[in-house]
Amino acid sequence: MKNPVLSLTTDRRTVLKGAAAAGALQIASPFVVPVWAADNLKIGICNPLTGTYAAPGKNEQTGCQLAADQINAKGGILGRKIELLIEDSTSGDAGTAVQKTRKLIDRDHVNFLVGNVNSALAQAMAQVSNEKGVLHIVPGGHTDPITGTDCKWNVFRVCNTTRMEANSICPLLFKTYGKKWHFITPDYAFGHTLYQGCEANLKKLGGTVTGNELTPLGITDFSAYLIKARAANPDVLVVLVQGNDMVNCLKQISQFGIDKQIHVAGTQQELESVEAMPPEARVGVWMFEWYWKQAAGTAGLDQFIADIRKRSGGKVPTARTWFGYVTIHAYALACAKAKSIEAKAVAKALSDMELPPEVKLQPNKVYFRGGDHQLMLSAFIGQLNTKGDGDPENLFKVNSIVAGESIAPSIAETGCKMQMPA
Amino acid sequence: MTDLLLFNATNGLIIGAFYALMAIGLSLILNLSNVINFAHGGFLVIGAYLSYTLTPYLGFWGALIVAPFLTAAIGLIVERLLIRRVYGRDPLYSLLLTFGLAFIIEDGTRQIWGALGKPTSIPAFLSKPLSYQFFFITGYRLFMVAIVVLAIALLFVLLRYTRAGIRVRAGTLDLETVAALGINIRTLRSLNFAIGIFLAGLAGALASGQLGLEPTMGDGLLMPSFIAIIVGGVGSLTGTLLGGLMIGVATGLTAVVFPSASDAIMYVIMAVVLLVRPRGLLGEEGMLT
Repeated sequence: MKNPVLSLTTDRRTVLKGAAAAGALQIASPFVVPVWAADNLKIGICNPLTGTYAAPGKNEQTGCQLAADQINAKGGILGRKIELLIEDSTSGDAGTAVQKTRKLIDRDHVNFLVGNVNSALAQAMAQVSNEKGVLHIVPGGHTDPITGTDCKWNVFRVCNTTRMEANSICPLLFKTYGKKWHFITPDYAFGHTLYQGCEANLKKLGGTVTGNELTPLGITDFSAYLIKARAANPDVLVVLVQGNDMVNCLKQISQFGIDKQIHVAGTQQELESVEAMPPEARVGVWMFEWYWKQAAGTAGLDQFIADIRKRSGGKVPTARTWFGYVTIHAYALACAKAKSIEAKAVAKALSDMELPPEVKLQPNKVYFRGGDHQLMLSAFIGQLNTKGDGDPENLFKVNSIVAGESIAPSIAETGCKMQMPA
Repeated sequence: MTDLLLFNATNGLIIGAFYALMAIGLSLILNLSNVINFAHGGFLVIGAYLSYTLTPYLGFWGALIVAPFLTAAIGLIVERLLIRRVYGRDPLYSLLLTFGLAFIIEDGTRQIWGALGKPTSIPAFLSKPLSYQFFFITGYRLFMVAIVVLAIALLFVLLRYTRAGIRVRAGTLDLETVAALGINIRTLRSLNFAIGIFLAGLAGALASGQLGLEPTMGDGLLMPSFIAIIVGGVGSLTGTLLGGLMIGVATGLTAVVFPSASDAIMYVIMAVVLLVRPRGLLGEEGMLT
């Protein structure tokens, strides 16, 4: 008889099962951290805490927490303290995000919902929040339909739309670098709409696309795409991938010396990504959605930076931190304005509400546009610093701060038909 | 177009060599101990972070040498405390155990080093392309291939000519008899696991020069390694090597003609191999080398 301890039948089926589970590893999700109290005002945050988007997810949470603490220190919202209920949505599993959203709404009875970094997850969450009639702000998911063709009375967004991002920087790239562009685009909702925005801009300006490399999310090696891109001989290589993909891509671009032959640029860039790159990979012209080292004398900015540094081990705030901060403050301001926490009343108050200086933390007028519930925030256009300028975290030189109004498409162009419930 | 295909085939070989390094470590553990190590990508991440942490003290080269050994030491502890308990049980146990371990390692690295990626640099003379035309062949990539070749050659020598290596090979064929001959198979399994994890640590230290260092960096590399094993044939290290190279070249070439399928092509190859030759290209159940 065969000794079971020594039994050694590794068959192919077992390995196959293993491989299937390895696929699941990339999307599975672990834990939950809610806290309870009786008559607090509950805010549910469903954002990535694990996976590719864990870093931006955590920064958004830090911003939310700072705002909540500031509001609670002043007596809360309409006399009720804010309590944040935090769930890990994972970085890419819409099923988990939806399930946790339902849990926050049905079981925890949150008054207000926040999320998600991932565009696709944000869209999925918006379906649920709309069905349940819960007010929902998307702090950092960029794809157009959220405040465009899929806009909803209860859903607002803080970060830019992909079209706003494209509009903010394309004319500058065209003027300075040339008219033949080659794209490296992440193959999902965000990437597709961002590419469409850039392509539309380029066509209008009279340029041509030499190619668009659609890359799977989470890909580690960009060399095959870069070989193709260089062979096409464009004037500009436009990098649209995000997060760790951006780090990998720029790292490989600089090792291949492509930045010495072709101009490298892109639309959205984030401090989280730039900090993870070695100095030589920090090249090109980009737009930040918010940046900490900006117009001198911006009201409240220094205090905000100091507060965040205290909470994040000395790290400066990023655009993500600011998104979270704005999200909670905007909700509190709207409740105060509506003198209610009822979703429809707060949604009404948020529409066309302008953010005060200590919340907007930038020069231009910043407000939620009533027609599509999109925040009109500025775009910070500039160049990456190879090494920190004056501060190790000052890795971007802002050349201009463009007002959101001037880069946003009209409401008719967004395709949003906002319908408030009776 | 021919140029482009040739470029991508060469480039694919470079990437494939790296997949093979991961896959061979995975395959070693699977062959002898019947454990499908899901946490292999996690050990890669540990190797990468250790090399990042050690670089300020030991320099790039010192860290590259020390980090894999430290990773192997951690692997040994994990084997003694956890993995050992599932030997001989249904493979499902080892799947669940290492699956959980993968999460623990991912979140552990996030706790220790933070969720934000870390910047890693390589020596300047390695980070340049060799020629203008073959810009994708950088000093570092050649260096990576050289290290992979060296590591795999050493491993094959070890398995063929040393007593421990011969025992590992014999154990792969028939562990029962090996045990009956008075060989301590507990030690053999520990040693074998440590070598597998050493290769994961080495892969991590090498990868951090080229990829962004963050807690999930191992995930994307784990899948191609599994496929390399299946395509090459379970039980055959040479097959695994071949499988790794094949996948590298195939993804490279697909990126030229149909970029968005460059990930899917791995699975297509796997499906074809499973249909035509289910045991894999060089697979003979239980055979090593």
